[in-house]
Amino acid sequence: MRWKTDIDAGVQLCLHCRKLHPLERKRCDRCGSPLFQRKPHALAKTFSLALAATLLLIPANLLPMMIVHSLVGDDAGTIMDGVIYFLEHGEAWIGVVIFVASVFVPFFKLTVLFYLLWIVRFHRHAKARLGLKLYRLIHFIGKWSMLDIFVVALMVGLVQFKNLATIVTGPAAIAFMLAVVTTIFATEAFDPRLMFDHENQRSSDG
Amino acid sequence: MAKKSETTACKECGVLVSVPLHLGIGQYRCPRCEGLLYRRGQPFSHVIVMALAALTLFLPLLFLPILDLNIMGQENSATLFKAFWVVYKDGYYLIALLALWTGILAPVAMLVLLLAILLPIHFGHRPHWIRHAYRLYETMREWGMAEVYLISIVVSMVKLHGMGTLHIGPGFYIFILFFLTFFITTVWFNPDDIWLDDALEN
Repeated sequence: MRWKTDIDAGVQLCLHCRKLHPLERKRCDRCGSPLFQRKPHALAKTFSLALAATLLLIPANLLPMMIVHSLVGDDAGTIMDGVIYFLEHGEAWIGVVIFVASVFVPFFKLTVLFYLLWIVRFHRHAKARLGLKLYRLIHFIGKWSMLDIFVVALMVGLVQFKNLATIVTGPAAIAFMLAVVTTIFATEAFDPRLMFDHENQRSSDG
Repeated sequence: MAKKSETTACKECGVLVSVPLHLGIGQYRCPRCEGLLYRRGQPFSHVIVMALAALTLFLPLLFLPILDLNIMGQENSATLFKAFWVVYKDGYYLIALLALWTGILAPVAMLVLLLAILLPIHFGHRPHWIRHAYRLYETMREWGMAEVYLISIVVSMVKLHGMGTLHIGPGFYIFILFFLTFFITTVWFNPDDIWLDDALEN
């Protein structure tokens, strides 16, 4: 089936208030947002931000998230140390929650982003619908990777008992937070419409 | 009521579609990709009341403790803000500010912007800055993470209960209520409805 898109009609959509405009207009006259037919430089921005996030995840997973100073001694734990601790101490569900939010979601999001870029770059129109479903999914689950940052902040805020027990933020927290934020920006920079563009042309070519 | 429609395009796949205005109950989806095109919100007066309720619930959160931890007779409590303050003092400014922003300030800013948009409209004015407030609100939606903060409190409870005696403070329950009213407000409010009059004129 053939669909008439904004490109076919020579119009552009305001992504904020959904008003259609002629191509020569620079700003939406209804809500004032900048206008473009497709997000500018979407591929380059998404790719570079996703790449940066991938690199940031390396220190985020290898360095300690927080350091516990107590009478027993110092204990610095990475994200996976925390997960394993809970799995071994009979509170598997909390281990699973942390694993999903801090390890699985960030890697899954980035994998999906690279997959979406692949769909656009190599015109895999048949995969566009699957790609869009994945895009909606990562949009929805993305914020949950901030969970561990909040947990660290709360633990650090609460456990301040001088030499008895004190928790300090670890260096991985910064890398992890930056990875989460760059991933959010990467998702924002991507334009899912690119996956569908030129679908009609292709089917008429072939 | 005149059945009018507005031609728009799907944000997610670019297909041109005509969406009827004044749909009543229900929503309208893209015929190609099933993306949501329009979902009618609740009347603005309902949204205003719910937003005011949420903001009122927010005020006591500034002072009430969410968690109390007691280790060998020494006690320490945390409010929603104190956690970030300690992280800030330790020199992790970026983490403290971002967590503060996404966990608390962005949701509150959303409520304030929403009222700044809806109250004038409710009383029959349409100041020129409404469009700026609207765009800020739309941007802010990506950054409000109150629900993540809420769940992280529960995770922290489990992590901490081995360390000492843990008490749940009144702030925690009020935070749950705050989140529920905030959530209902954002679900009820469809920002697209602000432009309904404009769309009907054209």
